[in-house]
Amino acid sequence: MSAILQIENLRKEFGARGFLKKSAPKLAVDDVSFEVQEGQTLALVGESGSGKSTVGLMALGLLAPTSGKVIFDGKSVTDLNSTERLALRRKIQVVFQDPYGSLNGRMTIREALTEGMMIHRLGANTREREERAAHLLADVGMEPEVLNRYPHEFSGGQRQRVAIARALSVEPKFMVLDEPTSALDVSVQSQVLNLLRRLQRERSLSFLFITHNLAVVEYMADTVCVMSQGKIVERGSVEKIFDTPEQDYTRKLLSSIPSTDPDARRLTPAKS
Amino acid sequence: MSGPILEVRNLRTYLKTVRGTAWAVDGVNFTVEAGKTRAIVGESGCGKSITALSIMQLLPEPAGFVDSGQVLLDGKDLLDLTWNQMRDYRGRDLAMIFQEPMTSLNPVFTIGNQVAESVIAHGGTKAHGRTRALELLDRVGIEDPHRVLRQYPHELSGGMRQRVMIAIALANNPKVLIADEPTTALDVTVQAQILSLMREIQTEMGMAILLITHDLGVVAEMADDVSVMYAGMVMEDAPVREIFHNPQHPYTRDLLESLPSRQSRGKDLAVIEGSVPSATHWPKGCRYANRCRFRIDACEAAVPPLFVRGASEARCIRLDEIAEKGNTAATRIPGESGKGVVA
Repeated sequence: MSAILQIENLRKEFGARGFLKKSAPKLAVDDVSFEVQEGQTLALVGESGSGKSTVGLMALGLLAPTSGKVIFDGKSVTDLNSTERLALRRKIQVVFQDPYGSLNGRMTIREALTEGMMIHRLGANTREREERAAHLLADVGMEPEVLNRYPHEFSGGQRQRVAIARALSVEPKFMVLDEPTSALDVSVQSQVLNLLRRLQRERSLSFLFITHNLAVVEYMADTVCVMSQGKIVERGSVEKIFDTPEQDYTRKLLSSIPSTDPDARRLTPAKS
Repeated sequence: MSGPILEVRNLRTYLKTVRGTAWAVDGVNFTVEAGKTRAIVGESGCGKSITALSIMQLLPEPAGFVDSGQVLLDGKDLLDLTWNQMRDYRGRDLAMIFQEPMTSLNPVFTIGNQVAESVIAHGGTKAHGRTRALELLDRVGIEDPHRVLRQYPHELSGGMRQRVMIAIALANNPKVLIADEPTTALDVTVQAQILSLMREIQTEMGMAILLITHDLGVVAEMADDVSVMYAGMVMEDAPVREIFHNPQHPYTRDLLESLPSRQSRGKDLAVIEGSVPSATHWPKGCRYANRCRFRIDACEAAVPPLFVRGASEARCIRLDEIAEKGNTAATRIPGESGKGVVA
């Protein structure tokens, strides 16, 4: 087993905003390093503002780090020429939280699914690409008839499936999943999680799973990195993080999770 | 502290939509006992928020109407009141907090102004409003309340804003607090603080809470009684322990089994196939029938009444049969499921 993605001493400053008076730059990501092993899921957890999504954007090459390295498949993402960058974009895909925002409302599902194939020259002709698109839809549990429809005609869960199919359309090896189920109801969340697990198995995909939902982390992740204020404060296997957390912040985070057993309430003392 | 303070009987609310009349709430019954918490839990679109807004008579205009039913506060039917009479009740006997405190607070008035307003609106003097505002901000755990009084909503964090909302709601010592997804927009650590605060204030003031949420973890932490809503109806009504340890309705069972957890690692999660029927065209029979693994033809004949089983009531004609089967085929060990359950 080897690392498909290596993040080394990544740092991102956002900064110095203001017209007359410059504010101090904000350090959003501070010396973050981790590796994602091939075929595995690394979960990046933390509260809002902890910098976890910023790390995701830098891993995707959508945001330039202030310093540090992102190495994908042995190659540094930060110093690629444009041809290499295009090839990289095919291998790393992303699914965001909000499938309303991440699908173009003016494109049919057919267009959304074939656009990436065209750019990366997958499929010999239109017909072949459409066949692939239909296969992808079947793979995410949707009917091929929906190809002619628009994103607004679907529910949140269906849209998220389309977003996953679109990401898969260019046959990536690695996916950044940024809160992929946070906007979904539990019954739909379970469908999407099952789907992601199956796709990971069948296509030996690696995931960087960014979420604040610790139950999903316990279910999905192999390794967990806990982020707070731009830093990774603790890392380890699911068992280590959840059963024997070492840092105060991790403990505080874990003790904030509501219990699902009314006999073992954690947050609120039993009423006298 | 006994007997219901709030009782909702046969509430039916519709929304006029372009696709026809949507019966968002279709015959809902429940009671909230004085000093206790009743949770209404369900997935998006099940009618839980419309139920809350019907009680407050704050339905979206001009689309929403209460068709029939009773909302009894201390025995008095709020639906009989005129708009002006209802204004007196709102914010005094019944108060409400919402999911997004940023949109519920007015951005151009100071926090002090807005907290005092709820006191003044119900007959308090300006001077009393100011002292009471300070007292309330202090009560909801805001450090340095003097400073916060002069601040504007955008200067506060989400958790602080929700504390301010709670302060406003508590201004006139309401008998019932309706909390519609009060912690959904907050981080878990802040959620934990807000929930503890609500519980603490409840114990102190003895108010009843009607908690609307989609988060089963919040339900397990907070509720005494639970109504599980689906497609405009209450599918199951039971004490909180029964809901989690001994769920009766197939929908409640499916919902609990679809939660991810450590125990389910490496296995597929339970999935609820199909989708919720349309509110403009509810089916004739059980509304969960098209997705239910226990469905038989009789399910589609008529909407089942609530059947009693132990301390629970559930809207399912096969309740007893399923209970016997379910207990032998239980895949989920109660109380050992995952943490941090977000529906």
